[in-house]
Amino acid sequence: MTDFQIAPSILSADFARLGEEVDAVLAAGADIVHFDVMDNHYVPNLTIGPMVCQALRNHGVTAPIDVHLMVQPVDNLIGMFADAGATYITFHPDASTHVDRSLQLIRSAGCKSGLWTTTTCPT
Amino acid sequence: MDNHYVPNLTIGPMVCQALRNHGVTAPIDVHLMVQPVDNLIGMFADAGATYITFHPDASTHVDRSLQLIRGAGCKSGLVFNPAASLEALKYVMDKVDMILLMSVNPGFGGQKFIPATLDKLREVRALIDASGLDIRLEVDGGVGPGNIAEIAAAGADTFVAGSAIFNQPDYRAVIDDMRRELASITA
Repeated sequence: MTDFQIAPSILSADFARLGEEVDAVLAAGADIVHFDVMDNHYVPNLTIGPMVCQALRNHGVTAPIDVHLMVQPVDNLIGMFADAGATYITFHPDASTHVDRSLQLIRSAGCKSGLWTTTTCPT
Repeated sequence: MDNHYVPNLTIGPMVCQALRNHGVTAPIDVHLMVQPVDNLIGMFADAGATYITFHPDASTHVDRSLQLIRGAGCKSGLVFNPAASLEALKYVMDKVDMILLMSVNPGFGGQKFIPATLDKLREVRALIDASGLDIRLEVDGGVGPGNIAEIAAAGADTFVAGSAIFNQPDYRAVIDDMRRELASITA
């Protein structure tokens, strides 16, 4: 049987009470915390960075944190999110000049790596 | 911070909006360490910002960006890095409500105050006084109870403190210490 996993995205949570919100959604049965990072360059919005990820770890969150980088470039933030306790780090291949190197950076920092495709990207 | 103008990424307009929705009514002073600035000015104004300040070298059209801020109903300001020239101020004094001098290099919290900022504060204080305009003079970086009096004496009237307050268990004790220090120079 497939191992289905539910990953609530904290982008829709109340940022003013983020620790409680994440505790509540995990207590309600969620498997993974999905964490959307935007830099106002790769996408036209700016959200949250590595300090917020670190704050969730310091708060006591032990569930996997799935960091989706909607940023360009990616390599600097890969290191910062690995240090901040990310479990998965995923990025868009068109946001990195050297996709293979960025994937290796993620794994060598001890995280799980992943790639996204946007709807208009050839796969 | 957007990981372009400075090498870190922090928090965006949704977090500002969340504080407003949470019931925060105090002024929110948004310091944009981003490049470009215009798109985020609109987003932060919609998210409830009171002040929006940016670095003149991060905007191609500084005057226009200042007008965007005031046009959105917010108070505007310019921010100067430790080694940044004050030249841009000369032409837009009448369009700023706040001048922010960085006393550390922006990007990370917990840094030490750069002493050369004191002379720069005196220089900007003289410019503000000569203009006769109502402009706040803010300082950000390495400010705490140990140096706040000296910084105020150099002309600052608004003090950003991060680690000096949030790294202490008793926020009120630190803020009271700061106010006591400030009272010592006005007495």
